Amino acid sequence: MSTAVAEPVDDDLWSAIGDPTRRRLLDLLLAEGGGTATTLGRQLPVTRQAVAKHLGILDRVGLVRATPEGRERRYRVDEAQLARAVAQLSSVGSAWDTRLQRIKRIAETIQRTQQDRQQH
Amino acid sequence: MELEAKEFGTIEREIYVEAPPEVVFDVVSSPDHLKEWWPDDARYDPTPGSTGEIVFGERDADGTVMQFTVVDVRPPRTFSFRWTHPAGEAAAAGNSLLVTFELTPSGGGTLLRMTESGFREMGWEVAVLEQQYQDHVTGWDFYLPRLAPCAEKLEARA
Repeated sequence: MSTAVAEPVDDDLWSAIGDPTRRRLLDLLLAEGGGTATTLGRQLPVTRQAVAKHLGILDRVGLVRATPEGRERRYRVDEAQLARAVAQLSSVGSAWDTRLQRIKRIAETIQRTQQDRQQH
Repeated sequence: MELEAKEFGTIEREIYVEAPPEVVFDVVSSPDHLKEWWPDDARYDPTPGSTGEIVFGERDADGTVMQFTVVDVRPPRTFSFRWTHPAGEAAAAGNSLLVTFELTPSGGGTLLRMTESGFREMGWEVAVLEQQYQDHVTGWDFYLPRLAPCAEKLEARA
């Protein structure tokens, strides 16, 4: 019956992206094309350990991918997975499209009814 | 792809309605009309600061009751409310989504603009909740209104 839900919402994905520090990390990774807990930690008011923890959460839901670099891991954003998260909010928007279409139909029906009444 | 450029914390939509602002204002603000286009039941007084609730499904049988607080009422130009805050808490930024309708006279009708914000502050869980109610609004009447030739759907600011 549903026509607009292409895939189920992934709770873990949404809560991963829901945290402001993690969104900032994604912003930095996108802007710089990648980074390590050390390089990212220098640009954020949190410890390197906290950055590493947040990166781990992003990694678990597939929003970032890690490759070993020396003693550290270098992260970059998985754009396909990020696009998927964005698409899920778009589906919230499409729910509003439907509501607004209903508002339009109701208001226009009321208006037509009032106009008919005035003409008769 | 710039994450900041894609501000997906806010949903914005515009639609042209062939009815004057007074009529459209009544449809977006009165509880009787609200339940025609959104929840199954709506109980609130459309005056600023008043609190109430909207219900999806049957109130007494697995239905979901959501808190609803009217924020601003300026007929026929502005109607805004907050929803999804926990019962017993005052609605505020951080615990609820803010929905604002702005009406502008245009031609013989009304340009209706809707914004819903607060997804970032809410930690996104509520967006999941919205998704659950998609079934509720995308039923048999999903396609019919789209046939209206004058219906114009503007893209959300990407």
